[in-house]
Amino acid sequence: MQNTPLLKVIDQFGVKRTFPLSKSEFTIGRRVENDLQVMSNSVSRYHGAIVREQGDYYLVDKGSKTGLFINNEKVERGVLHHLDRIRLGGADDYDIQFIVPEYEAPRSSGDALSGIHSAINAAEELKNLARYVEVNQAFKFSLSPEDVLRLIVDAAVELGSAERGVILLKNKTGELEFKVARDGGKKDVPRKDFSLSTSAVKEVLRKNKTVVVNEDDHHSFEVGHSVAFLKLRTIICVPLHRFQMRANMEMTSMLQQELIGVLYLHSSKVTAGLSYSSRSLLESLAFEASKCLENVRLMHEEQEKQKLEREIELARDVQVALLPAGFIESNLYELAAESIPCRHVGGDFYDFMTLPGGRLVLTLADVSGKGISAALLASLAQGVIDAQFLAGHSPAEVLGNLNRVIVNRSDANRFITMFSAVLDTDGTFNWVNAGHNPPMLVRDGGEIELLTTGSLILGAFDFAGYDDSHIKLNSGDVFFSFSDGVTEAVNSHGELFGEDRLLALLKSSVKQTANEIKDRVLKEVLSFTRGLPQGDDITVVALKVK
Amino acid sequence: MDINVRASGEIVILDLEGNLTIGNAEETLRKRIEELVASDRKYMLINLANVPMIDSSGIGGLVKSFTHAKNNGGKLKLLKPTRLAQQLLSITGLLSVFEVFEDEAVALASF
Repeated sequence: MQNTPLLKVIDQFGVKRTFPLSKSEFTIGRRVENDLQVMSNSVSRYHGAIVREQGDYYLVDKGSKTGLFINNEKVERGVLHHLDRIRLGGADDYDIQFIVPEYEAPRSSGDALSGIHSAINAAEELKNLARYVEVNQAFKFSLSPEDVLRLIVDAAVELGSAERGVILLKNKTGELEFKVARDGGKKDVPRKDFSLSTSAVKEVLRKNKTVVVNEDDHHSFEVGHSVAFLKLRTIICVPLHRFQMRANMEMTSMLQQELIGVLYLHSSKVTAGLSYSSRSLLESLAFEASKCLENVRLMHEEQEKQKLEREIELARDVQVALLPAGFIESNLYELAAESIPCRHVGGDFYDFMTLPGGRLVLTLADVSGKGISAALLASLAQGVIDAQFLAGHSPAEVLGNLNRVIVNRSDANRFITMFSAVLDTDGTFNWVNAGHNPPMLVRDGGEIELLTTGSLILGAFDFAGYDDSHIKLNSGDVFFSFSDGVTEAVNSHGELFGEDRLLALLKSSVKQTANEIKDRVLKEVLSFTRGLPQGDDITVVALKVK
Repeated sequence: MDINVRASGEIVILDLEGNLTIGNAEETLRKRIEELVASDRKYMLINLANVPMIDSSGIGGLVKSFTHAKNNGGKLKLLKPTRLAQQLLSITGLLSVFEVFEDEAVALASF
């Protein structure tokens, strides 16, 4: 299975698929029975096939109207090599590439090198092999990224019998950057002393295959101006690809091979060249180098991740410290609130304050997503809300203004769900719900109301409008608000705590005090999820009218 | 989460498979929508039939995608959200903004 070639297909929508060529015949055509169905009217019903014969793979035309092409050359029957591009006449927008996962040395008539360079002698072969193994071993030790690059270039220079070599890697903007250059004596070559043939580099980027330019050989590609000027004899450019760990080679949504850099060698010795086996060893080295570069990248990523997690923990401690004390009381009401944040800092918050005149403002909110920016947005929102209510605005006005503030911060790909209300001293309760879990109102007599009007979440659309709803709270009524973490808590059987369970719990607790109700709900949720890690912030607020 | 794209005339149908939850899913969706809009495929129908779970991150992705399409003269509509998704869309008020359909043919005809 390891050596089964693959067909990488990108269709007209850009959807990528991979097909292992495990059968002796892999058919391509418009009809659905084909192994690869290409839906285009110019493609014949049974257009062609890839057949395997004695270890080689051939693309065969099955009598198509518009023809089959390998690297833009029309074929009736042609052998396929690693990285060859197959095109179906009439389906120009389909990109099909033949890939041999473990690189196999090309064996064909098209290879510009075969027969040109000097015969391989046994000693050279052995030396090459030993060098390859040594590099392989070295990769297992942890070296600095620059040292790794030096090792790669040194090995490549030796394998390619080159005078000097350089490794170029793509930077964040996709441009190739000169990284490390070495001469045959394992010394660094400063950038200013190394002349690169830009046309050779462009060629390898374009073809995405190893490119060899030999002065005597005009077949590879047109010798660009820069090459002639440098009086070079041989340039060898090997592409470096992004090495991807894949769990399952048969998976259909695979990423296209990504070029991350180039290994560039040159030599001015006339007899310098690239023996057949050296070339395949060079490409194997490039493969190993890609793996190694990927490991270096992963290590770097891991370090960044750990740094971020430490920052998140710090932000969480700060956030928890900012929450108001969990209980306030007046002649009219008792309010008990508690928030149990999850492992990651999140965007849940509750806020309450008393306004002059004895009115209570109550806000529950949940910022989408996790992490520091969610927490920061939560803090911003809290600030805006406090200021707005102090200025005497109603809940609808406050949320409308907050919505505009958040929408205008378009860099934040976040929104906030929020419930905000003002309880006046005569029991009138003026509320707005912007996409938050509907709080439950349990009347003294046991009737239930869910406080929602389906208003839009904050931060999604600037055209969102908010209206105040007015109800009257009477003695003995219980208002209860909660975050997702309550109803979506999961037990060891995979069951959700759910709204029904919460409702039943509240109904049976309606005679208790706010603190008792709040504690009871928390206790029930925590024992429901007994032992399992918390999935989300748990925030509860119980307000009871005396 | 995987996205399979198919076309029905001018309309592109994105069949989502897997959870639209925190992680790469939201980014994958948004990027795909951006690519489609950039290649002038601006009428899009997102099929949520095979999306068992959506969380706030997924909702954010849908909102961002909707806005992007709208700002570029396009339309984005939803098809067959699961019951959970419907509930979420309802609570967040998004049902008043998104057009949601149970039937593909009806959805396509509405563009």
